[in-house]
Amino acid sequence: MTQQIEFPATDADGASAEASPAETSEASPAETSDAEASPPAAERGEALLVREGDIAADYLERLLDVLDYDGDIDLDVEGDRAVVAVVGGSLRGLIGPNGATLDALQELTRLAVTQQTGLRTRLMLDVGGFRAKRRTELSELALRTATEVREGGTAQTLAPMNPFERKVVHDAISAVDGVHTESEGDEPNRCVVVLPGE
Amino acid sequence: MLEAALEHLVRGIVDNPDDVQVDLVTGRRGRTLEVRVHPDDLGKVIGRGGRTARALRQIMSGVGGRGLRVDVVDTDA
Repeated sequence: MTQQIEFPATDADGASAEASPAETSEASPAETSDAEASPPAAERGEALLVREGDIAADYLERLLDVLDYDGDIDLDVEGDRAVVAVVGGSLRGLIGPNGATLDALQELTRLAVTQQTGLRTRLMLDVGGFRAKRRTELSELALRTATEVREGGTAQTLAPMNPFERKVVHDAISAVDGVHTESEGDEPNRCVVVLPGE
Repeated sequence: MLEAALEHLVRGIVDNPDDVQVDLVTGRRGRTLEVRVHPDDLGKVIGRGGRTARALRQIMSGVGGRGLRVDVVDTDA
């Protein structure tokens, strides 16, 4: 059952699939000393995200198989992260209360990707459209709150949220004039605060 | 099925996948999935502050029901 995955050859600059441990711990495109290394690094970044998605899909597909769950896997790249979505039948067991099981599965999937690439990943996992739906709800809440804060002039603290949820709120409110956001507190009680002013 | 699921999850994150062994043990306190890995992989399965072990427990109780325990067995002991 050893995972054997075929990867498309990296044609950007012949970057080998196996990064040496020395490169892996701190590797980030910004730290490449050579200025001219930037364009290949960007291409490699895109190829890396695709590869991350493939590794994650393989890991999750086998899990669904073993559990005898029906589900298809959609792969995408959004900005600078790979997005993997498990869609289909009864996946509630993989979502859990408030997405707790989904968060755990995302964590494991990221570790499985890192195990193969040697690089940290910001891969996002969704199951049964849970995050997509949550994102819509949170964006609406964020915009409603931003309007209240701008008109009332008083800051509001939102309920504790996980990093994904906070990011959705920050992003939604960053597009609104006259208010800004900060985060306060420590996990798992870290909250977004919406404040008046730019 | 639960053993196989956990075994798969763990095999994917360790350096020595062939050394991963998972047993389902039923005792007075209910069902426990006992995970054994290569000693060098113990840190990976437990994670910083127990984070990875916690994630494994969360997933297994999600698919196997509440009361399903996951123990990472320290084989050095």
